[in-house]
Amino acid sequence: MKRALLTVLAMLPVLAWAAPVRIGSKQFTESVILGELVRLNAQQAGVDARHQRELGGTSILWSALQHGDIDAYPEYTGTISHELLKDMPADADLPALREKLKPLGIGITDSLGFSDTYAIGMQEQRAAKLGITRISDLARHPELRFGFSNEFMDRADGWPGVRQRYGLAQTQVRGLDHTLSYRAVASGAVDAIDLYSTDAEIPYYHLRTLDDDRHYFPRYEAVFLYRLELERSAPAFMASLRKLSGRIDEAAMQRMNAEVKLDGMKETDVAARFLSVAPGGHDDGFWQRLWQRSAEHVKLVALSLGLAVVLAIPLGILSARWKRTGHLVIGLTGILQTVPSLAMFVFMIPLLGIGTWPAIAALFLYSLLPIVRNTHAGLVGIPLELRESAAALGLPGSVRLRRVELPMATRSILAGIKTAAVINVGTATLAALIGAGGYGQPILTGIRLDNIGLILEGAVPAAVLALLVQGLFEGIERWLTPRGLRLEARQ
Amino acid sequence: MFGADTAPPIAFALERVCKRYGAVIALDEVSLSFAAGSTTALIGSSGAGKSTVLRLLLGLDWPDQGVVWTDGAILQRADVLELRRRVGYVIQEGGLFPHLTVLENLALLPRHMGWKTAQVHARASELAELTHLSRDVLQRYPAELSGGQRQRVALMRALMLDPDALLLDEPLGALDPLVRHELQDELKRIFDQLGKTVIVVTHDLAEAAWFAERLVLFRDGKVLQDGRLLDLCDRPADEFVTRFVRAQRSLPEASA
Repeated sequence: MKRALLTVLAMLPVLAWAAPVRIGSKQFTESVILGELVRLNAQQAGVDARHQRELGGTSILWSALQHGDIDAYPEYTGTISHELLKDMPADADLPALREKLKPLGIGITDSLGFSDTYAIGMQEQRAAKLGITRISDLARHPELRFGFSNEFMDRADGWPGVRQRYGLAQTQVRGLDHTLSYRAVASGAVDAIDLYSTDAEIPYYHLRTLDDDRHYFPRYEAVFLYRLELERSAPAFMASLRKLSGRIDEAAMQRMNAEVKLDGMKETDVAARFLSVAPGGHDDGFWQRLWQRSAEHVKLVALSLGLAVVLAIPLGILSARWKRTGHLVIGLTGILQTVPSLAMFVFMIPLLGIGTWPAIAALFLYSLLPIVRNTHAGLVGIPLELRESAAALGLPGSVRLRRVELPMATRSILAGIKTAAVINVGTATLAALIGAGGYGQPILTGIRLDNIGLILEGAVPAAVLALLVQGLFEGIERWLTPRGLRLEARQ
Repeated sequence: MFGADTAPPIAFALERVCKRYGAVIALDEVSLSFAAGSTTALIGSSGAGKSTVLRLLLGLDWPDQGVVWTDGAILQRADVLELRRRVGYVIQEGGLFPHLTVLENLALLPRHMGWKTAQVHARASELAELTHLSRDVLQRYPAELSGGQRQRVALMRALMLDPDALLLDEPLGALDPLVRHELQDELKRIFDQLGKTVIVVTHDLAEAAWFAERLVLFRDGKVLQDGRLLDLCDRPADEFVTRFVRAQRSLPEASA
């Protein structure tokens, strides 16, 4: 009866989606605008297309494309040759890339018309004072502090390669989110950052783009990668996609980026204006958005927690009964807990794709440890003479477990579930990176657009939800903890 | 009622039982038997092996060597649930489940055996009367009981199914002297009234002699002497028995 509550928590409605052509975009503005451009263009041609925005970084998009969770996404030739195909020369042209991608079942469009190349930038004033105009000038100032986007830090064609080519010796190099790095350089927290050449912020923050005098950075032509089966299954979409090739030049892209990032326009409106079509759709009001994200977030937390409870309590019981199993189970769930959350979400893509289910799976794995550990501790903590009294009465093991041991461990088990739930509410905000929505969505967008209001739109409800969950479980604890145990605790 | 010539059957027996806990030898080739309907007190210092006897008789522990007999058969693991239901067991702190009320503690096993609520209530009332426990205590939680009440409830719980035997391990060890004295009287009365096989473990010689005619004195896992109080005093098996008997301090003479 009382136990039914946990079952009810796990039975929130399951939303299903089916999208004819699914376009993905990375977690930066240009990618989102390109995604919207292609979606609106396809709709114009009468093709139903959906856009999964802001799906984290390259590895998530590439993995999702290969596994068929999305059908197309905007990419850059330099990234394809360096990161995705690894063994390609830096100057590989489109036909060479096309040849190489074909066996993977992936196609590549012609250039959309602009190149978005990596560059290194500094504040104009500071660069002038130090007399820096070229990247090779940086070698004379080993004391400079660099703040590079996390992708740039790790990519073969990013910082490691630049450092080698130019012989740079700077040691103060920090990884930052790309959109935050502009503010970091503007405020003087770092001296140089990586840029995309079409970034709207370059003129806005008065940054000097340093000359790549040793021609390290390859050209990053903007293209779309798509699953080759679209040629057959969605020819109308492919025709509309090809029509965009060569239509967006560098100036147009920089202007669209500026309209979103500096003028605060919506990506959809900017893309619609470029295509001279009506943006279509309607804007959800604040409450509508909040409701939808709350539903997504609660679903992530409730389902993952419900599944974890169903598995972790029996695991905790087994662990308490057999010592060696206990060490193994608690050790394994402990290891799961140490996997960084973003990595956990990315690991799930090959198994479960993108969206809600991989996010639930990742959160589920995180929830196991606190519940297993507390179930184990609660059962092992029952005084030996009480466990033996139950045995000496002549009750079979299952009855002892149900009537004596589990009730006595209730508080510890509930505390474990509460811990898991509160952690889940926080971790679930990262699930937006793999397209699971929730409160993480406005936070991601807000960080990308440097929009505090939008960040709070996600962060405040997430904090409120965490408090509600905490309160809810404290209530459940009071309600479920047998009165006799509370009396005993008071003595 | 009893046949005059036939000896009562043996309820429990240990046959050349050895039991070790790690390096500690709890029982060293002990053979003992307990007649049905008899009351026996196991005495000795802490760790002498007397509690182990009860644990072996209930199948809470198993001998490393030798066998345990109950009701004329060697005890098998498959039989322990059935055995435990025929034997009531009371420990020092009562072993009551803190999350259940007194009545729920009493009802646990009977309900599992399929008793109706009314049947449980009737039996609980009957036993409350036997143990002189006031009825309103039935709705309380163990945390709300005094030490004496807890032991009365523990005894009631052990008696719910009207078992053939009662095993009590230091049942009064945690009580203050007044309550202890009162409960000694009551237990004695109940043992006499019910006529069950009773084995009570205590380290108090006076208490042992109050409960039982037959005393079994343990030392270091061996039975040192098995007999009446008089035998222990007049014909001690060895010097330790004398020391154990003398260790029971009597009150200094008021007039001296």
